[in-house]
Amino acid sequence: MSVCRNINTKDCFVMTGKMALPNQYFAGRVGSKFIISLRDAKKILGVKCPKCGLVYVPPREYCEKDLEKLDQDQNWVELGNEGVITNFTIVNYNDKHLPRRAPYVLALIKVEGADTPFAHIVEGIESEHMKIGMRVKAVFAEQTTHTILDIDHFEPIRA
Amino acid sequence: MAEYYGSKVVDIFNTMPVRFKPDGVKGVDVTIGYDILGEGGGTWVVTIKDAALKVEKIAGDLPKCSVVMTADAEAFVGGALGKIDPGEAFASGKIKVAGDIIILGNVLPKAFEKFTPIVRARAIVESMVERFRPEKAEGVDLKIGYDLSGEDGGAWTAIVKDGTCTVKEGLDPDCTVTMRMVSEVFVGLNLGKIDPAAAFGSGQVKIEGDMMAAGATAKLFKKFEVAGAEEKQGEELISLKCIPSIRHRFATGSHMGKWFKGLKEKKFYATQCPVCGRTQIPPREVCAVCRVRCDEFIEVGPKGTVTMIDTVYYASPDPLTGKVRQTPYAALFLVMDGSTPSESFAHELNPKDLDRIESGMKVRPVWAKERTGSYRDLLYFEIDD
Amino acid sequence: MAHKKNRHVGVVGIGQTEYSSHKEYQNQVEMVNEAVRAALADANMTLNDIDCVVHGNMELFEMVHQPDMWHSLGTGAFGKPEFRITTGGTTGSTLVCAADNLVASGMYDVVMAIGLEKLQEGNTTGGITNMADPLWFRHLQTGALTATTATMMIQEFGEERARRAAMKYRIMMDKHAVLNPRAHRRFGLEYEQMEDLMKTSPKLVGDLRLIHMCSQSDGACVMIFACEEKAKKVSKKPVWIRDHITVHREEMFNNFGIERPEMTHHYAARKLFERNGIKNPIEYFDVFEMYDPSAWWGLDWLREFFLLEGDEHIKMLENDEWGLDGKLPVNPSGGVTSTNPIGATAMIRPAEVALQIRGDAGAHQLKREVKHGLASGFGGTLWTVLIMLEKDLKW
Repeated sequence: MSVCRNINTKDCFVMTGKMALPNQYFAGRVGSKFIISLRDAKKILGVKCPKCGLVYVPPREYCEKDLEKLDQDQNWVELGNEGVITNFTIVNYNDKHLPRRAPYVLALIKVEGADTPFAHIVEGIESEHMKIGMRVKAVFAEQTTHTILDIDHFEPIRA
Repeated sequence: MAEYYGSKVVDIFNTMPVRFKPDGVKGVDVTIGYDILGEGGGTWVVTIKDAALKVEKIAGDLPKCSVVMTADAEAFVGGALGKIDPGEAFASGKIKVAGDIIILGNVLPKAFEKFTPIVRARAIVESMVERFRPEKAEGVDLKIGYDLSGEDGGAWTAIVKDGTCTVKEGLDPDCTVTMRMVSEVFVGLNLGKIDPAAAFGSGQVKIEGDMMAAGATAKLFKKFEVAGAEEKQGEELISLKCIPSIRHRFATGSHMGKWFKGLKEKKFYATQCPVCGRTQIPPREVCAVCRVRCDEFIEVGPKGTVTMIDTVYYASPDPLTGKVRQTPYAALFLVMDGSTPSESFAHELNPKDLDRIESGMKVRPVWAKERTGSYRDLLYFEIDD
Repeated sequence: MAHKKNRHVGVVGIGQTEYSSHKEYQNQVEMVNEAVRAALADANMTLNDIDCVVHGNMELFEMVHQPDMWHSLGTGAFGKPEFRITTGGTTGSTLVCAADNLVASGMYDVVMAIGLEKLQEGNTTGGITNMADPLWFRHLQTGALTATTATMMIQEFGEERARRAAMKYRIMMDKHAVLNPRAHRRFGLEYEQMEDLMKTSPKLVGDLRLIHMCSQSDGACVMIFACEEKAKKVSKKPVWIRDHITVHREEMFNNFGIERPEMTHHYAARKLFERNGIKNPIEYFDVFEMYDPSAWWGLDWLREFFLLEGDEHIKMLENDEWGLDGKLPVNPSGGVTSTNPIGATAMIRPAEVALQIRGDAGAHQLKREVKHGLASGFGGTLWTVLIMLEKDLKW
């Protein structure tokens, strides 16, 4: 079996450049309703599947398990702005696409009434003191970005 | 006059002064000719210069303009109202453009607010049937005459009887009450833009017949709503735009490395397959047909014979910068001297040769003065005469 | 050599969204989900009946990488084996080939294939440019527009005849699209407009005009494939996949030399018909859904696909033989010039053939009985996938 050990590498070099990825994302009816509620009403909305009973947040149009239509008025549920940490990690590196400078806490938070946790940033606590099961509450953003960051971050609820 | 989607062609031009945004056209100097065909059409010239607007309806032929739009009247109005997709109207030939088409895409949206339909008396009168409130009309037996003057006016009679309302054209001689005014005043009153007390008081509205009946008509009908208003209250749909880019580093490998080295030296290196003999340009490590490594390089060209020309009139914008290349330009396929006849090389033509180039001609490369071993070293090819 | 199939494979479910360029009300997951639900309803199946999912679209055209992970929220792939297949423009047809292979092999009884594209959320030029070799061709790319075929046809048949033929083909496709409520662009063109369009439709490249060129559409297409035993139980009219061939060539546009290689379309047709004993494809097939990205290509490739010579294909066009009532109807759905959600486009071809065979195509259903169908996929640097579909298990 020949191995490419003898390639003449004297002409090899590295070309640098940029790859453009212009895009647009449509939140859709369901996604828009969720974001608008964060932006205007400062309320977190979920949807409940009438078949399996799961309350999903962020809400989606159909239950992925049952294919039941979730986007109907009677299925939309107002959830609490407080919740519980189900898991977390500490982000220790910087990259231009990250929402905060390192180190910061990225956690999975299950808000009141929801069956699914969602990821968000936790501030106002040293990473050593982070614990699963901690109670946190949403702090809404001043300026909208039309994304989940219309909740700016979650912060611990001091007893 | 002909209406399309509830509006007339003239409405679009008549509302241009009101919709004009001088701040959006700084430094713009254009004349746009419009040749609108079909019922209700006509010819207009719109001039935007020194942040000022001039709209003229003309008879006869259009003078020279920066760009001329020729359109079917229905497509023109439909496009302005967003009822039809202007891109599709353009692709299917219902809207044609001659001259600098970029002006329409770039200047128009910045120069004018979007056109919204003008409400006319007829629409308001005819909608009385829908807006009628039978629960308020118990025991009411009334004939209301509307005599509205002006270009968009007309005469109608609304008959309220037995809990129903019908509207017909013309003024019945035995109307309980007749309202006479200029049609624009009627529209203004209904849209809440003109104060009724002022209109009556100033004699703009004349009432004949039973004054009390006139006063009673208002409660019989729901307020007139402009069609667009409902749509605006519709759902808000969120979309997010972004143009991320990622940096990348690509290793050339030995073969492309040699290719670029060759360019620096004004040479074209191709690989030659040891089995089938074909020359691959730019060079490749493997002959895909014979599935063997190709490490033999040969020099080909630098001149070649043109086999195919693609004249490009429309260039897609660069995804990163949004810039558009100047067109027309020509992409060339040529077979380099010394190359096997099935292997063509794709590049570009010197724009100055665009009018003369023909398949079968000999071309030679034009190199950049400073060459660094990159794709920028080879500028284009030109006719070798 | 044709593939050795362990068992026959039938199409038991077909689902399509409407194709348009205004799907702001749905995100990608919801769009895919719409077609999945439609296909399951058509097959009278639930997600529990699906053993495996194959998913595909143009890689990175929506600027989302490995979107099948995100789309699992709507594809039903959660907890199931799933393959992602992305082979450029041929993706839709490759998905069909893969599903056929997976069921025929015996590994899975029921496979759901999903093809989609949401170009409004992406950037087609960016996608195509990023596909090109980054060292050299990326810097020369002008997107997917070329008029080389138009130039060659004009050279061979004369300017007037070639241009009229291309325009007639385009108008014919639009007339078919008008009958298809799902098609994206339905202009309502008439043959009287031919002269006018030939002069006024803006030129893109050479003789390729805007009217000749396909649209950029959004939408999804889903097909469900089942093994013979299950297909016969589940469906009254399963459509059988008889054979398919994939001919991709090198990723280089170097086929414009003095000698030109055999086109993949011709090679694919030649091999496929030979190994299936079809000596006269025009007589044999009842319908052909061809992936025709432009009117010029569509017209030229009719000669390639049916192994014709000289101007036979143009004569047949001039005699309306490729129309709905002709000898061999082409693209009763309106084809790709009317509707092009790239990742789905090549799947819509066999899907529409299957609908024709079943008699379910609706307003654009052919009047004749459709027993033998042919569908093609196209992509990249002139690649071809060719698929044969049959009404009866008799071959």
